[in-house]
Parts: sequence; structure tokens; C-alpha cells
Amino acid sequence: MNHIFKLLPKIGLKTNQILGLHTNATLSAWVKAKTPKKFLEYNKKIFPPQAIGDEPRPAFVCHQKANIKYSPEKLWYVACLVRGMTVDEAVKQLSFVNKKGAVFVKEAILEAQELAVSQHNVEYRSNLWVAESFANKGMVVKGVRRHARGRMGEVRYTYSHYFVRLEEGKPPKDYYKINALTPQEQLDAWLEQMRKRKIINSY
Amino acid sequence: MANSILLKLGSLRFAPATLIQPCRTTTTKHYNPKFKKERAAKFLKLDLPKPNQEVGEMTPEKMRQKMKERGILPPRPWMERPFYISATGGVFEPYIPPEGDGKASIVSTTRAKQTVQLLEKKSKSMMAVRKIKSFDEDFSTADFCSKAQDIYIKAHESLANDDKHAIRLYVTEKAYPEFRHNSRLKTIRWKFLESLEPPRVVHARCTDIVSKENIFGQVTVRFHTRQQLAVYDRFGRLLHGSEILAKDVLEYIVFEKHLANLYGTWRIHAKIIPDWAPPKEPSKHTRVMADPDPDPEPVPEVETAEKTEGDTPAITDK
Repeated sequence: MNHIFKLLPKIGLKTNQILGLHTNATLSAWVKAKTPKKFLEYNKKIFPPQAIGDEPRPAFVCHQKANIKYSPEKLWYVACLVRGMTVDEAVKQLSFVNKKGAVFVKEAILEAQELAVSQHNVEYRSNLWVAESFANKGMVVKGVRRHARGRMGEVRYTYSHYFVRLEEGKPPKDYYKINALTPQEQLDAWLEQMRKRKIINSY
Repeated sequence: MANSILLKLGSLRFAPATLIQPCRTTTTKHYNPKFKKERAAKFLKLDLPKPNQEVGEMTPEKMRQKMKERGILPPRPWMERPFYISATGGVFEPYIPPEGDGKASIVSTTRAKQTVQLLEKKSKSMMAVRKIKSFDEDFSTADFCSKAQDIYIKAHESLANDDKHAIRLYVTEKAYPEFRHNSRLKTIRWKFLESLEPPRVVHARCTDIVSKENIFGQVTVRFHTRQQLAVYDRFGRLLHGSEILAKDVLEYIVFEKHLANLYGTWRIHAKIIPDWAPPKEPSKHTRVMADPDPDPEPVPEVETAEKTEGDTPAITDK
């Protein structure tokens, strides 16, 4: 059925004209819009086999939700919120965020979790954390609004993409590095750095 | 005031007005409802695209309505179904491996039965070999065994190398999906170590399909070999087998050739798994069992016996 809708933009719309103005976007109402392709390519990367006794490489799964009718600027706040959380925690937090974007993000995370278990050889569905979570700008449909004195203005109806990467294992303790080093640790680090110095051309 | 957050809370709705500090929570709405319509008219209405609308989920009526809006004709139904006739879709008269690979106790009933059946089948196999020879003069079961082993090894090597074009040379179209099943994005390390017993032809059959001259030949070869297999997932973690463990493998492989085709080749067609084969190794993963399907509701049985008697004559032996 999809191929009919690909024909749609060619046919164009004649009904949606006001005062001879083309108010409809060139993309008509249900053509499949362009979706980002690159992020999902990471799911196809094959890593070399590990030797016996190696630490098992953590599995990951990349997932995206493309062309959400929501502003990327607003989605950014929600995307930042879940970074570095376990999947269960992220879902729990998102269900209390009173924003439209939270619904999309939660949906994306749950879908990614399902994919991880069904396709990417992840054993326990709760043993995942949000390693990457970001929002990008999608397509922009430009509309028209009236101003005084016969002037016109542009309205931007923005769409956004949401990307998430879930990784197997426990999340890092301090993802955002909120707790900096203690003075003792700072001193130790400085000492270490100093001792590691090397006189050039010594040998 | 109408949108005050406290007013929205159920229990405080009846609190005296003096207690409630007015506070607007909706910031996207103009405070004055007057000229609301005119303000809205500043923006020209347009149908925003809905890129995530699932076309598959639309009801036929909705689809029809949408297509009428756009003046599009429904697509022509696609009635073509491709099918391939250079390979058969199955194994005809499959070989039944004798109980315990022919080494079961003589006293066992299945073995006794199978030895009798084997004699009948042997003569049929001889006929089939003769038929194959009528098409392929150089065919001999002794030579074929070594050739079959070569095909067997090459097919598995091309699978391990993920060379889908090479696999086609050694595997029929029927076996191809079975061969490649579950191998996507996985690393396979396969090694053929040695042949423990020389491979031997145990069974041969010929069948014609569609027309009398269109003949396919199928030969079952018994392999007893030593192999090594390790399957790694996308992240290089061991899924199955091991690279330091060799295993003895007893297999009955069916090879097929389109005899009527001048350029036909012998290719792997199927594998016969005997009933007495040891059970498969369980998966290393813990999995959640799928929810059992809810029991279908028992259909209340309508007594139709009387009705049918009138319409069709019931079979009676009275």
C-alpha cells in the first residue's frame, strides 16, 4: 500500500488552497518523510570474537523515533533527563514528566528494550542503561500567518528525531560527573601526573 | 482563575476563596477570551503531515476516504507468485536411519522391522542409481561420496564466510533458508577436522515432476566426521559450541540434482534427523516463557443433528 503514498506529492493538492496561496507543504499529509539512517547502522556492526576468559563485551542497541511532531528544543530537556539511568528508572521517571515529549521518549526506550532482548542477545531486560539519549531536528513545515498592515510572517512547524542507545550492564556511578574529586583524590591525581613525567630524549 | 492549579485539585475545590491564592498555570492561552476567533484567524490553517501514521493500521473505509480525497485509484492486485522449479520442495521417500545407526540390539523390535524394510528399499535405490547413470554416465557411488564430502565442506565454509553467492552453488533453493537460518550478524567458526568413516551412499531416489522427462535425483550420504563449531553473537560473545572442542558428527545428508538439466549440479538439499538422535543442547540463555494463549472459549454446541437429517441423508447402518 505504501507505494501509493509515494505518488502523492506528484499529484499535489488542489483542495487546500486559500486565496491562490499554496498553504499545503510539498510533502502531503501522509507521505513517509525522510528518516535518519546512520544511527541504526550501528546495530549492524559485528565485533570480532572474544578469547576465552575475556570480559564479555556489553551488548548495545540503537533505536530512534523519527519525525515526532514536537519541538527538538523541548525534547532536549527530556532526553537529558534519562541519560545515565537504568532502563527501569528512566521509564519510572518519564511516567511522571508532564510533557508531551516524555511519552515519545518512554515509548522509544521501551521499544529499544524489547529489541535488545529479542534481537541483540541481551539476557535480562532490566540489565540495561541509557548510554546515549539525544534529540535532533527533523523536517520543518513552514506555514503562514498574518501580521498587521498586510504583512506576512512565517510559522515553523518543527518535527524532531529522538535517538537512544541502551547498553547492557550497570550505569556508571556518576554519569554527569556531578561529584568532582575530593581534595585528597585531586592531590593523588596531581602526584600521579607529576610522577609520570618524562624527560624528552632521555630514553 | 479558571485554570488555577488549586482549583484543579479535587479536595480543595470547595475550600473558601480566601484561602486560595490565584495562580495561572496555563501560559499559552490569552487571558482575554474576547477576539479569540480573530486571533486564531491570523494563522492560515494547513494539514500538517503525519509521518508516523501507520498505513497498515488504517481501516479499509478510512483508506478509501483518504484515497477519494486525493482522487487516487486503488492499486492493481499483485497476483504473481514466483516459484522455482530447479529444485524440489522436499525429500521424497526419505531415508529412515536404522535404529542406533544399525548397531542396536538384534532383539529390539524396531531393528527387526527395519532390516526387513531395508531389503525392499535397497532394490529401489539400485534402480534409482541406474536411472541417474542413464543421465550421468560417469556417476558411481564410490566417486560420488568423495565429491559429496567436498560439496559438504565447501557449503559449510561459505556459510562460515558469510558468502551468500557461493552458498548457492552448493545448496539448493529449498535448503538455502534452512541453511542460513539464524546466522545473520553472527560469526561462525567452523572447521572440518577429519572423516572418521568414509562417507557412503545409503539411499537414492528419482522422481519426475510435472512432465515425465523432468527428473530429479536425490542421494542420501552418511557422513561420520569430526568437526569444530563455535558461534559468536554480534558482540563476539560465545553463543554456541567451542573452538577448543572437537565433536563427532553423524549426519545423513540428502543431495539433489536436476538430472534433466544438462547443467545441473549435485547440491545439498536436506538433512535427515533420526528419531533416535540425542536431544539438542539447551540454550545458554535464561528466557521468559511466553504467556500461554488464553483458552479458546468453548463454542456452545448447537444441536444441529435434527436439521441435518432433513437436508442430507445421514449415513446409517441400521
